[in-house]
Amino acid sequence: MKEVPVKIQHNNEWIVVKMGIAEDRVILPAPVGREILFRTVADIAEKKNILIITVKTDTESVYKILSVEKVLQILKKFILTSCNAYRLMAYFMSPAIRGGVMIKNAQWDKGSVVVVRSGIWFISATKQICVPLNDVAAIELTRRDVQGKPADVIKIDHLESGEVTSSFVLCPLSTLQVLYNYLRDTTKSMDMKGTELDGVDQQVAMLVYSGMDSHAIENMLNIPHKQLDAVYDKILKLGLGEVVTIRREIQLTTKGVRYITDATKSQTN
Amino acid sequence: MGKILIVDDTLFMRTLLKNILFSGGHTIAGEAGDGEDGVSKYKELKPDLVTMDIVMPKMNGIEALKAIKEFDPAAKVIMCTAVGQEQMVKLAIKTGAKGYIIKPFQAPKVLEEVKSVLTS
Repeated sequence: MKEVPVKIQHNNEWIVVKMGIAEDRVILPAPVGREILFRTVADIAEKKNILIITVKTDTESVYKILSVEKVLQILKKFILTSCNAYRLMAYFMSPAIRGGVMIKNAQWDKGSVVVVRSGIWFISATKQICVPLNDVAAIELTRRDVQGKPADVIKIDHLESGEVTSSFVLCPLSTLQVLYNYLRDTTKSMDMKGTELDGVDQQVAMLVYSGMDSHAIENMLNIPHKQLDAVYDKILKLGLGEVVTIRREIQLTTKGVRYITDATKSQTN
Repeated sequence: MGKILIVDDTLFMRTLLKNILFSGGHTIAGEAGDGEDGVSKYKELKPDLVTMDIVMPKMNGIEALKAIKEFDPAAKVIMCTAVGQEQMVKLAIKTGAKGYIIKPFQAPKVLEEVKSVLTS
């Protein structure tokens, strides 16, 4: 067993401990005083360099561990291999498409796909990629050319730092179907009828997706600000968007008009 | 920065691409609503790059790409495909497309792809 210094959140404070890592467990010494068997881990998520581990025994406990990338990589590898999750051997390509543009030289990695409570992990010898389920925008069972032959794959669209990214999973069709159904079920809360937005609303949503601001959208669709505002309200109400900036429009007061008039005079004199 | 020809049968997509490309400092050489018009506009305007939709009336994007490549083997064409038409990408690349974007797309990535093809 190896010992590595990590920071762990204990009683709302970050404390440094020497954590023992074995192949099937980690040992957190006093004052935490816990031994975590990897098979009891029900969820694992990562936020920057903090690993959030949910352990389910009789009760459920959450541990937040902060360490250097190398230590976290080893820890993630051990946990994801043994934790309580839906796991399958597969080829994956992640990311394959970013913002609608295919990533050049994207390759299939041989490894495993591990689906935990909060996300999907793609694990190979060189990669550990986590896609939080909350960031999954679409799941599709589709066909794609793999080494010159069409093959069934699952395409997972997800948000990554505001960019829409697609990843592919390739494995035997029966396994794909199980994974697809599982992912569809877990992300069911995001399903919609598809009739909630009318033609103009959809165009507005598409332009927002493409990165256009309000001014550009008004000009492109030739619609007044009030109409765009009403569409935004609809999109927000449906939970399809969130406000990032509130732009203000102002008009000059008498003082402002005088200021500009004087400034123009001094420029022309 | 380049002079770009947009070939797409939907006005909405043309307008969107025009805005994205314009915001990236590119000049719009012209627009075409089908493959046939796209080929004749290419011959007339000699743009630095073409963004070409695949599914279009009269002449589809692949046929138009073929015709443009016959006229100018050095032509730089980026194909635009909808989700689910990724199979067409391979055919387009075989025919000589330099890049491809999948609809719906995001502006920064489109500009990156255009830049990469223009400088290739």
